[in-house]
Amino acid sequence: MSRSRFCGSHEHDMNRRAFLGATGAAGVSLAADMTQLNALAAPGVNDALKKTQKRVILLWLAGGASQLETWDPKPGASTGGPFRAIKTDVPGVAISELMPKMAQRMKNTCILRGLDTKNGDHGSAAITMMRGRRNEAALRYPDLGAVLAREMARADSKVPDYVSFYTQTEGRGMAPGDSGFLGARYAPMDLTTSNYPEFIKRLADISDLDHKERSDLRDVLGKQFVAGRSSDTMNSQNEAYERVRGIMSSEKLFDVTQEPQKVRDRYGPTQFAEQVLIARRLVEAGVPFVRVGRAWWDSHGQNFETHQEMVPELDHVMATLIDDLKERGLLDDVMIVTLSEFGRTPGINASLGRDHFASAWSSTITGCGIKGGSVYGKTDDKGNKVVAEQVDAGSLFATIYEALGINPEKNYYVGSRPIPLVNPGIHAIKEVLK
Amino acid sequence: MPSPNPDTLKLAKDFSQPVIVFGIARLTGTDAVYLGCSDFKVYSADLTATKFTPKELYSHESYVTGVALAKMNLISGGYDGKLKWCDIETGDVIRTVDAHSKWIRKVIASPDGKLVVSIADDMACKVWDAATGKLVHDLRGHKEKTPHDFISMLYAVTFSDDGKHLATGDKTGHVAVWDVKAGQQIGECEAPVMYTWDKQQRLHSIGGIRSLAFSPDGKQLAVGGMGKVGNIDHLEGKARVEVFDWKAGKQTAEFPGDKFAGLVNKLAWAPDGSWLVGAGGAGEGFFLFYDVAAKKTLRQEKVMMHVHEFDMTDDAKEIVSVGHNRITIHKLG
Repeated sequence: MSRSRFCGSHEHDMNRRAFLGATGAAGVSLAADMTQLNALAAPGVNDALKKTQKRVILLWLAGGASQLETWDPKPGASTGGPFRAIKTDVPGVAISELMPKMAQRMKNTCILRGLDTKNGDHGSAAITMMRGRRNEAALRYPDLGAVLAREMARADSKVPDYVSFYTQTEGRGMAPGDSGFLGARYAPMDLTTSNYPEFIKRLADISDLDHKERSDLRDVLGKQFVAGRSSDTMNSQNEAYERVRGIMSSEKLFDVTQEPQKVRDRYGPTQFAEQVLIARRLVEAGVPFVRVGRAWWDSHGQNFETHQEMVPELDHVMATLIDDLKERGLLDDVMIVTLSEFGRTPGINASLGRDHFASAWSSTITGCGIKGGSVYGKTDDKGNKVVAEQVDAGSLFATIYEALGINPEKNYYVGSRPIPLVNPGIHAIKEVLK
Repeated sequence: MPSPNPDTLKLAKDFSQPVIVFGIARLTGTDAVYLGCSDFKVYSADLTATKFTPKELYSHESYVTGVALAKMNLISGGYDGKLKWCDIETGDVIRTVDAHSKWIRKVIASPDGKLVVSIADDMACKVWDAATGKLVHDLRGHKEKTPHDFISMLYAVTFSDDGKHLATGDKTGHVAVWDVKAGQQIGECEAPVMYTWDKQQRLHSIGGIRSLAFSPDGKQLAVGGMGKVGNIDHLEGKARVEVFDWKAGKQTAEFPGDKFAGLVNKLAWAPDGSWLVGAGGAGEGFFLFYDVAAKKTLRQEKVMMHVHEFDMTDDAKEIVSVGHNRITIHKLG
């Protein structure tokens, strides 16, 4: 069966007509709802929000960013490459010189340097690192965004629960957002061709009244069809349609021009910067999970040039996001995660590139219940293997869940089968939790 | 005397190395060479020694990407942004200069040995007095950002044979030509095909101008790099050379490549101008010989490693190439 999403497949292949044909029945008073959203975004509301809701921004560094050119430099080693390590605001912790801005903000961030995830294939590794475990043959697990949408979304929310930006085409199909067995209700709103969800707009030639009447008709027909039938698929589709009313009202959140120019300038003009700024707008308005995919880090050739180009952008945007959240009083309630499907080989190939490497790489977590300034995990002098505090995908996810106040051992049920959020025996890394 | 025929090129020696060698300078008329390496060190070596064992001279704090000889001074530069002067008779480092705020890509000396030039990713081309280490010119003609708001890089620099002109080439395919005495830009050329910006699939770039060489008469400027790349994860674009009438800023010859993929990292003209040679690589390396006047590729030869730099003797009878874990010596004529 094909995946169901608010906006069609991850390739955004559902056209406007098809989308509105399915969802246009959701009559909605756009103006009224947008007023509510503006109120949600007002500074005074932040205090109320942060008491009740944690949120996550995942910076998905697709293709595999190099740990050696970011969070785990090995200066002077034959594998270390040309870049130096620089001191940070945490005594004894150094990161790549390509990240001078983050170096001044490491007190907020935890580095996990001991990831050993065993899989160096883009596609299957991305699936694992989006879910914290491998799918079973007959069971598709929900990814991090879907679980957090389920756990952290508010019932009366007027905003999407899970938004995913992935504008570049390379690797997009390898790491689609996927709600797995949780169904379409928790599927991501995928933004692939633009930063703006064009399909949530009501067509100009359909009046509000038409919308309302179509929605009512769909409800009637849907209820008649469901009567006497029982299907998780039907139920999840109906729940998704019921959410359309709110989703359609959230369009202004995606409009980056609503931000003051000085804020936009602060983030910078790149696509990644704009998407992260929109992500901040979304979490501020209560969206529980936003993934900003930044492809493509797969530097088999010219690794150092690629990272010279891309890491400063990551450094600047991530540092700006931290500052922005902090100034808004949100950093204790919004978690920022950097993650890839894997890291890159310590060995440098003849094209001055680094290849796929899943045996000793890094991720970071900032904010919420994470101990800022902590480093967990140690790799050897050349970065070839983890020598202490190894972390796998499951324990990374358990740590994220626990930091957000979610019990990783909580069960979902597929039929009568209990499915814990992480596999049995996997535990959070207590050392990095506050 | 006519230059040797490229058809006579043959491998004479090769040495494996535990490091990547980025730069070579050869003391004219001798077999003494100086190497800049990925272990942050500068070495001296004797090409005729029974056992090739480079001797460590001193260290930088990062990759050593350029070495040049100016009379009896060896000047090296690296990703640490520093230039170091070493007296090759005593082996002493006599001067260290914080030359650039970003990574130094190349260091060259003027033909008369009086000037040294360094280029770096701060997009500065700095001209130094080789004897005193004093800054003579700080030449700025390359933009710090690409058109897509990412940092640019300044990869290539060369002197004209008479020492009057310098050319510099950057990541976006822009070449600036400078009057050395006046310290002013007097020309520019564009080779945009050498820069691939992937705005849709991968949202970053690859390529850039990696080598430059004035013809012996100083009228033509050869520019080396790589053609457009489909998958920028790899150096899969064809090795590419363009030749310009630099005063007019006009391309006069184009060699888009048909055999080897990768970057042309070094270019040199035959002493009589009858041919142009380029070397570079991707996963493997190559030599490419061109008859520029006839717009014809003369020879394309595989080399055992990705070549980062070579030194060709004044009579063009020997080429010593350095690169990924290997050094080779080729003979001509």
